[in-house]
Formats: sequence, structure tokens, C-alpha cells
Amino acid sequence: MRAKETKKKSCFKLPYPKVIAFFKPYLWVFGVILFLGIYSGVVDICLPLFQEYAIANFIVPGTVSGLGLFCLFYALFLLSRIVADFISSYQTGRIEVLIAKDMRGACFKHLQTLSFSFFNQNSVGYLHSRIMSDTSRIGGVVAWDFMSGVWNLSYLIGAAVIMFIKDWKLALCVMVIVPVIALSAALFERRLRTLNGEVRELNSQISGKFNESITGSRTVRVLGAEEKMRKGFFALTGKMNKTAVLTARVRASFICLISFSTSMALALVLWRGGLIAQENLEFIAKLSVFMTYAMNVMEQVQWVVNAMADMIFVRVNMERVSKILETESDVPDSAEVVEKYGDTFHPKKENWEPLQGDITFEDVSFMYPDGNEWVLENFDLHVPKGTNVAIVGETGAGKSTLVNLVCRFYDPTKGRVLIDGRDARERSQLWLHSSLGYVLQTPHLFSGSIAENLRYGNPNATEAEMEAALREIDAWRIVERMGKGLESDVGEGGDLLSTGEKQLMSFARVMLANPSILVLDEATSSVDSHTEQLIQRATERVSEGRTCFVIAHRLSTIRQADIILAVKDGKIIERGSHAELMAAKGYYYRLYTRQYEDEQTQIVLDKKE
Amino acid sequence: METQHKVYGKAARLWRFLRKSRLWFALGILCAVAMTALEMVAPQIVNFTVDNLLSGEELVLPAWLAGLVDAPALIAYLQDKLWLVAIAVIVTGAASVLCRFGNMYFNNKGGESMVKTIRDDLFSHIGRLPQSFYSQNKTGDLIQRSTSDVEMVKNFVAEQLVPLFRVIILLAVSLTVMFMMNPLLALVPLCFVPIVLTYSLVFRAQISKHFEACDICEAELSSITQENLTGVRVVRAFGRERSEIEKFDRKNKEYGDRNVRLTWLFTWFWIVGDFFSGMQVLAVLGVGTYMCVAHGMELGDLLAFVSYNAMMLWPVRSLGRIVSEMSKAGVALGRINDILNTDPELQTQEVKEPDFKGDIVFDHVSFRYEAEGAQILEDVSFSVKGGSVIGIMGGTGSGKSTLMGLLDRLYELEDGSITIGGVPIGQIDRAELHRRVGYVLQDTYLFSGTIAENICMGTDGMDMDEVKHAAGVACFDGAVSEFKEGYETFVGERGVTLSGGQKQRCSIARMLAMRPDIMIFDDSLSAVDSETDATIRRALRREFENCTVILISHRITTLSHADKIVVLDEGRVAEMGTHEELVAKGGIYSRVCSMQGRDEVQSEGEVTA
Repeated sequence: MRAKETKKKSCFKLPYPKVIAFFKPYLWVFGVILFLGIYSGVVDICLPLFQEYAIANFIVPGTVSGLGLFCLFYALFLLSRIVADFISSYQTGRIEVLIAKDMRGACFKHLQTLSFSFFNQNSVGYLHSRIMSDTSRIGGVVAWDFMSGVWNLSYLIGAAVIMFIKDWKLALCVMVIVPVIALSAALFERRLRTLNGEVRELNSQISGKFNESITGSRTVRVLGAEEKMRKGFFALTGKMNKTAVLTARVRASFICLISFSTSMALALVLWRGGLIAQENLEFIAKLSVFMTYAMNVMEQVQWVVNAMADMIFVRVNMERVSKILETESDVPDSAEVVEKYGDTFHPKKENWEPLQGDITFEDVSFMYPDGNEWVLENFDLHVPKGTNVAIVGETGAGKSTLVNLVCRFYDPTKGRVLIDGRDARERSQLWLHSSLGYVLQTPHLFSGSIAENLRYGNPNATEAEMEAALREIDAWRIVERMGKGLESDVGEGGDLLSTGEKQLMSFARVMLANPSILVLDEATSSVDSHTEQLIQRATERVSEGRTCFVIAHRLSTIRQADIILAVKDGKIIERGSHAELMAAKGYYYRLYTRQYEDEQTQIVLDKKE
Repeated sequence: METQHKVYGKAARLWRFLRKSRLWFALGILCAVAMTALEMVAPQIVNFTVDNLLSGEELVLPAWLAGLVDAPALIAYLQDKLWLVAIAVIVTGAASVLCRFGNMYFNNKGGESMVKTIRDDLFSHIGRLPQSFYSQNKTGDLIQRSTSDVEMVKNFVAEQLVPLFRVIILLAVSLTVMFMMNPLLALVPLCFVPIVLTYSLVFRAQISKHFEACDICEAELSSITQENLTGVRVVRAFGRERSEIEKFDRKNKEYGDRNVRLTWLFTWFWIVGDFFSGMQVLAVLGVGTYMCVAHGMELGDLLAFVSYNAMMLWPVRSLGRIVSEMSKAGVALGRINDILNTDPELQTQEVKEPDFKGDIVFDHVSFRYEAEGAQILEDVSFSVKGGSVIGIMGGTGSGKSTLMGLLDRLYELEDGSITIGGVPIGQIDRAELHRRVGYVLQDTYLFSGTIAENICMGTDGMDMDEVKHAAGVACFDGAVSEFKEGYETFVGERGVTLSGGQKQRCSIARMLAMRPDIMIFDDSLSAVDSETDATIRRALRREFENCTVILISHRITTLSHADKIVVLDEGRVAEMGTHEELVAKGGIYSRVCSMQGRDEVQSEGEVTA
């Protein structure tokens, strides 16, 4: 019996449970809004009744006795409506913000646990707008449309009831129009959504064209393509103009239809009601009330339809958010590992063994989750502690694959990666990452001060330690130049620093982290020769005594490496020391010779010696 | 003919922007006035029906009408045929709806054609700005001006400025009608106008700083998200997920709190506004009822009065918003105006048609980008024989690209002269110069579109065979055929990413498709391997025998077969001569040459011969 019940329950599952869960803490607020919405609706229905009362009791009999009391009562009634409105609007606004906030926080937190394959498949822009705009939209629609839906619906029902009580025939005249309005509103709504989508798309195309003409201005000039670009742009704005005006026309027709049906309702009431009033003079007071309802009802129908349509369309946003929340990392820590070492948010550092930096690839085969080709097949390599491994190859050849495996950004498809003799999967990712240093090709700094960025590597670093690290790589001058010492702001993404300076900062950051394993993705971007020398020296300093993987672009690093791996078309085709590979006169030899020539030429021309 | 670029002030600029939409807006306002007038009629019909037809009061016609119409007979006639009243309501309703449609449609039509004018003006002007403008302004800023600032101005004009006229007219008309009906009662709503307006303005001014704080907070939250997503590798590699979440949560909470605060303030604003409106309605109803009773005001008049009063509630409340948005729109307009007031490139006077196949002579050319800036070129003189191949070599910042930019008039020459076929380039029509000089830039830029569209970019359109031919000469044909969709493959921002070498070859094909007389390759083969480099150059010689070719490169293999080689060093000509002469001379060139291994050069020499 009980089992049956639970089964039945699961049949009534709401869609997107992960998203719906965010509404649950505010169920009582929804309750309050529901109650107050109904109350406001009822009050609004009663307002015309006051008018009726005034006509029937003061104007028709021609007396003012009791008018003061009437006004007071009316004022109190209005006041209660205002208070109810105040509470429900505030609560609606509040839960709009809070639901969005909770959802944003949860999405952000969840993204921190997802694996790299996820980030490779979803662009930063896509994820960013899921976190920032989808959540806001869900919060807004759910809160405000709920409120307006409740209020409008209760007004609609209440008005209908009163009209029917007063005179059902006359009421029927008015209500006949309602379904017609509702149906056409739904149709218009759909057409408008499609048109709005087209307008948005055209808008982004126009922005794209502006972008192109500005970033590609030299190319446009050189090709003499200004006129062509202009024609293309004018055609686009022309199309935009047409679509936007069409959208406006549809919207105008819609609104006009609603307001015309209001006139229809009024005419009907005036005609039929007038006939009744001719028979029965007392009906005149009722007539004015009837007219008010008849005119308001049409607008209410429009709002209810609007709210329902919003609810339907917000499902797209819900689906996207819930897809993110439902995605699980494909590089998971097993339950036993979490048990012993803790998870990302609750590490059990007391159980962590120190990391030495001895790495072994044991019969590793690897295929990217979104790919369909083996990039490593039965690969074996032993990297003893303190070894320097250089990975060389052309841009886009797939040099980062090995590094991705060492960092456990991916797990091998077959075989094992051993760290200090044990399978990497036997210990938590955070354990590995805490002893790992990574210097990116394009240095990534966070908004904030220099100190905040350096502490990224080691939260407990003292100012003296930071200064020492910066001095060691000759980067202290940057701090001095910035004016406020370590507390100087680096700007958004480190924009206040030059590329070379950002690189030096990321070296200092990694030195403070004091990792056992270092991954270095050398920069290809050109910096001035002085900074380049500084970076060169910093590279050497940082890699000393550490197990080091260098994705190499510069020759000096290549020559001194213990092991060189040459990568072409995603596969490792040669391995050995510099001398061995040069003697083999293969791919590495050609690559090296070309780079060497280019570099030497540059030196001669720029007189760097 | 050189025409002086006209500079406009903000108001004058706005008036210019409105040049194609003034008529539409005027029609829109006209419709609004007619609509307002018609909306006034419906309450009068109701009024007349209730008072004269149903309650049986005597109709008092103005003297001029009384002579024409027999009042009692008319009333009796209408009382008998009440449906005529209904028809009258429907007809005025239809007429007013028609005007409403006109108002919405014309307003939108005006708004959209204005936005098209602004965008087209901006785009055309941006296409004519000198290159120095682009280096002085950030791309992001320019794009923001062309998109969101334009949107801001449009919204202001269409949604604020034009409705302002409507609001003023509406207010004037409804107040006038109310004064005509009952001057004493009309004083009641008149008293409320300044109160509501002042209240709204004061509140808007107060709240603006909260709004700004919220915007800033949102921007910060957004950039934390952005930085986290782009720096996902750094976050993971340092194991800093937890601190990232804390950082995000802190800002997310602040943003949420600020928004809730804003909601709180706004709820107050609306509620107090509602209160004023409610009071206004109550006052009119209360005083009106009193007047009906004590001063014999007619019931129908009161009902009409109540409707007119309701009509003016909203417009007054929206006035405050219009005024407060005005300053923001002014800023946006100013930013757009700044771009449009920037002087465009100089137009050519006394156009002469040179022989583009003739000699190119650089005579004592000196150049610096800014008056006080570094000297980029100093006294550069050399000539290029028509139809010959010339090579240019030089280090970073030696002025190679600047020299070519001057030849193609991307920058205006200041000292010295450059002539093509004896005609100074300042006297050649700019468009013609761009068309006859094919310039492959160092930074390749592809437009978003298909490969075929990119290749045709510099031409007036060409058939597929020609496209394929150009691609073939640039050795790009093979790479294209590997794409599934061939020449219809989408490239650029939203399309397939091409490798550096593919991009270079694509832009070479694009230049070749123009079939120019002078070709400039600015380091355009750097990402292509030496064999392909040689193949392309051979194909060039075969296809474009009579063209003058200027090659900028570091590769001896590329340069050695040129008829003349110029070595630039810090803006001056350091060496000049043929390959053999320069090798014998023992300067920079010969040093580079010895660096790059002679055997390779010789082996390729055999192929060419």
C-alpha cells in the first residue's frame, strides 16, 4: 500500500525538479502573495460598488446624511488595499531577487565541480549568460507573473460573479467576448514571440557588423570594400526596420483589438442595460457599475494570458539551468576517496600525504570525451621526481593533452597515471591540485590587488614572502611602479598590467604556491626583449628542483629538458633528449632548425645582442 | 572636391537624426490627439444616455443647435431606438482604436526609421574615419556607442520624448474639458498635478544613486563569473574552488541585498503614488457627490468627470520618469555625436589617373604617428621599377608596415613624397588606389561569412571559377576542399576556425581576386611552410607577370630572388641591392643569410630556374 503511494507520487513529478527546488524555501511567501492577490482582487471588485452605493443612497434620494461616514469607510477600504499591495509587491520583488540569487549561487558552485570536457563543450559566454541572465529571468517571471496572475484572475472571476448576480443576461453579454479575447491574445502572443526573436537576432547581427567594421577597419580599407560593407549594412538595417515595424504593427493590432472589445462590451451594456433601465429606473445605479466591470474585464483577460505565456516561455530558461545543475563531472572522486580525503569544499587535509612528484604513465590510451580519435595509445613514460619534460610541436598540434592528464583535468580512457606510485584516482583532485602549479600561456589574473592575486597560490603567504618571491624574479619593480605596493589594483583581468608583467605575476604566484609538480605553458605572444629575459630567468628559477612539464615555444627550454616529446597532429611522434632527437634528423630536427633560424634572424635584425 | 566636415551640437544632431522620421512622429502625435479627443466622446455618450435618455432629464441644447434640432423629439426617437446609442459607442470606439493604432504604428515607424538613420550614419562615418582614430579609441567603447547608446537615444525619443507631447496634450484637453463642465470640481485634480509631479521627480533623483550602486554590483558579479569561467584552469590547478565560491557568494549576496533594498524603495514609491491617485479619485468622487446633492450637479456629469479624472492619473505619474531619463539620454547622444563630429579622411583634390604599372618612388619619406611621438621613418628614399619584385627586410619597429601603410594611404604622408607612375599618391583617388594596390596585411582578418564571400570581398562579385582560381594561386584550394562544405564553409566569429597558415592563404587569395597592379605581402607567408611559400611565389610570377610585387619577409628564401632588396633599420634604409650584392657587402643581410643555412636557398634556386 505504502509503496504504491510513493509510486503514485512520483507520477506527479513537476518538470525541472532541480529548478523547482529553489522555490520551496519561499512557499510561504507564495502563500502570502496568493492570499493578498485574492484580497486585492476582491477589493478592486468592490470599489465600483461604492460608486453604486453613492448614487443609490446620496444622489438619487438627494441627501448628504452619512456621506462623511461613507467617505471614511471608503478611505479605510482603499488603505487596506494599499497595504495589501505594498506587502505583496515587496514580497514579490524580494523573492524575485532571492530565488535568482540562490539559483545563481548554486549554478556557480556546481560549475566549480564540473570537469574540463564540460568547459570545452560550453563556451564562456554561454555559461555566463546561464548564470547571470537565465536565473534572473526565472526569478522575475515566476514571482511577478504569479502575483499578476493571481490578482487578475481573482478580479476576473469576482467581476464575473457579481455581474451574474446583478443581472445574468447582461453579464452573459459581456462574458461572451472573454473567450474570443483570450484566444486571440494567445495567438498574438505567439506571433509576437517569434517576431521578437527575429528582431533580437537581427540586432546581434548589426552589432556584429559594427564589430567587424571597427576591428577589421584596416582590412576593409585595404580591400577598398567600404562601399560593399556599407551596402551590406544598409540592407541589414533595412531588414531590421521592416521586421521591427512589422512587430510594432502586430503589437498595435493586438492592443487595439483588446481596446475595441472594451468598446464593444460598453456598447452592449449600454444598449441592453438601457433597455432594462427603461423598464426599471432603479437599474440605473447598477448600470454604471456594470459598465466599469465590462471595460475592466477585457484588460484583465489580456494580463492573464500574458502571465500564462510568460510561464510557458520561461521553461526554456529553466531547461538550460536545470541542464547545468544535472550535469555531473566525468572526472569524479570515488566515494572512498571523498571519505578519506574530503571533497572540494570540505577537504580533510589531515589525511593528505605529501606529494613527491614522481609520475608514471602506464599503458595509457586517451580519447577526448567529445572526440572520436585516439590521441594517445598505449603510452608509457616514467617521469622521476625533478625531471624536466618539454613538449614541442606546432600550434594546435595537441600539446596540452599530456598536461591535462597530469593535472587530472581528464582521466585516461584506458590505463593508469601513477603519482608517487599510486593511481591518481586513488586520491582526491584537490589533493593533487594543491601541490600543483600552473603557469598559463595567456596569464590569467583576477580583479583585485596584487596581494590578492599572489595569495591565490598560497592563502597564507605573508607580505615578506610575497616581496621575496617578486624580488627573486625581478618583478618587485612592477609593484613599486603601481604606487600602492602590494595593495595596488591590477584592474579587470589584470588589465592595468602589460602582458609581460602579468606573466611575471603568475610566476610569482606559482612560486608562493611552492608546488611539487609544475606545468608551464610558455607564451607565444611577443613581449619586449628586457621582459623576455626576465621571464626566461623566472622560468629557470621556478622550475628548479620540481617535476616540470613545459609546453615549449622557446629554444632554451627545449635544449635543457631531460625528456623532449614532439607532438604532431595530436600524437606523440618522437621522444628523447635534445641531442638524440637532433641526431635522428626527424620532425623535431626540422622544427628546431626552423625555430632556431627565425629566432637568430630576429636577434640580428633587432640587434638584441 | 574637398568639403569641410560639418560639426553639429547635440540638439542639432538629434534634429538631423530625425530627418526621415519627423513626419511619422508628427502623424503619431496627431493620431494621439485625435484618439484623446475620441476617448472623451464615449463618456459623454454614456453621460447623455444615463441623464437624458434613461433618467428623463430635459436636454438643453446650445442656442445655435436648438434652432436646427427638436430636442424632445430627438430624445423620444433615441429612447425608442436605444441600439443607435450602442452603435454610436462602437463607431467612436472603432474610430478611437483606429487612431490608437495609427499612433502606435507611426510612432514605431518613426522610431525605427530614426534608429536606422543613426546606425547608417554611424556606420558610414566609421568607414571613412582615418586609421589613427582606431588606435586612439578602444574597440569595446566604439561598439558600445554604436549599439547600446543608439538604443538609449531611440528609446528616449520613441518612448519618452514623443509621448511627452501626448501627455501634455492629454492633460491640457482633459483639464479643459473638466473646467468647461465644472470649474470648481476641476480644481481638485488640478491641485494634485504639481504634488504628484514633484513627488515623482524628487523620488527619481533620490533613487538614482541606488540604481547606480546596483548596476556596479551587477557588473562586478558578472566579471567575477567571467573571470572564473575564463580562468577555470587556474582555479582548478591551484585548488581554489572554495575561495572562488566564497567570493562569488559575498558579491551575490550584496547584489541581492541591494536589489531587495531597491525593491523596498520602489514599493514605497508606487504605493505612495497609488495613494495619491486614490486620494485624487476619492476627492473628486466626494466633492462631486456633494456638488450633485448641494449644487445640483448632474449625475451624468459626475460620471463623465470621474472618467476624465481617471484618464489623467497615469500621464502625470509618467512625467517624472521622462524628465529623469532625459539626462541619461543626453549623455548617450553626446557619445554618439563625438564619433560623428570626428573629421573623416581627406578627400582627394584634382584627381589624376596614374599608370599603376609604372615605377613607385619613395622620395625622402619621414613619418611619425603623433606630432610629439617617436620618429618611425626617417628620410627613406628608393624606387621600385614597374613590374619588378622588391623585398623588404627589417626588425620589429623598423617601419616596414608603416611604409606600406603610407603607400596605400592608410596614413597621410607628411614629409617627402611617394609617387606611382610619376603621380603623387595624394592626387590619386583613394578608392582607385585601394583597388589597384593589393595589400595583404600582417594581421589577417577574415569577415564572418563563407570562404567564397571572403575571397570576393574586394571585388564586385565574381563567379565560382574565378574564386577557385584565386584560391588555387594562393595554394588555398587544397585546404578548402577538405572542408565538408568547401567554399561555402562559414568562417569568422561564428564559424570554423582556420589555422594561421590557412588564414594567411585565404587573405592572399582575397587580394589576388582583386587582380591589382601592385601587390604588397606584409609578412604574409610567415605561417606557411617554405615549400608552400615557394609554390605560391612561382604561381604568382606565372599569373601576374607585369605586376609590381613588394615582399616583406625575414626569410632569405623568400627574398633572395627579388630584383632588389631593401633592408630597413630603425626607420632608415640600411642596405639596398640584389641578393648577391648584399651578401657580398657583409652587413645585416649577409649575417641573416649565413644564419639561415645556404644549402636550402640553393636547392630552391634550382627549382625556380
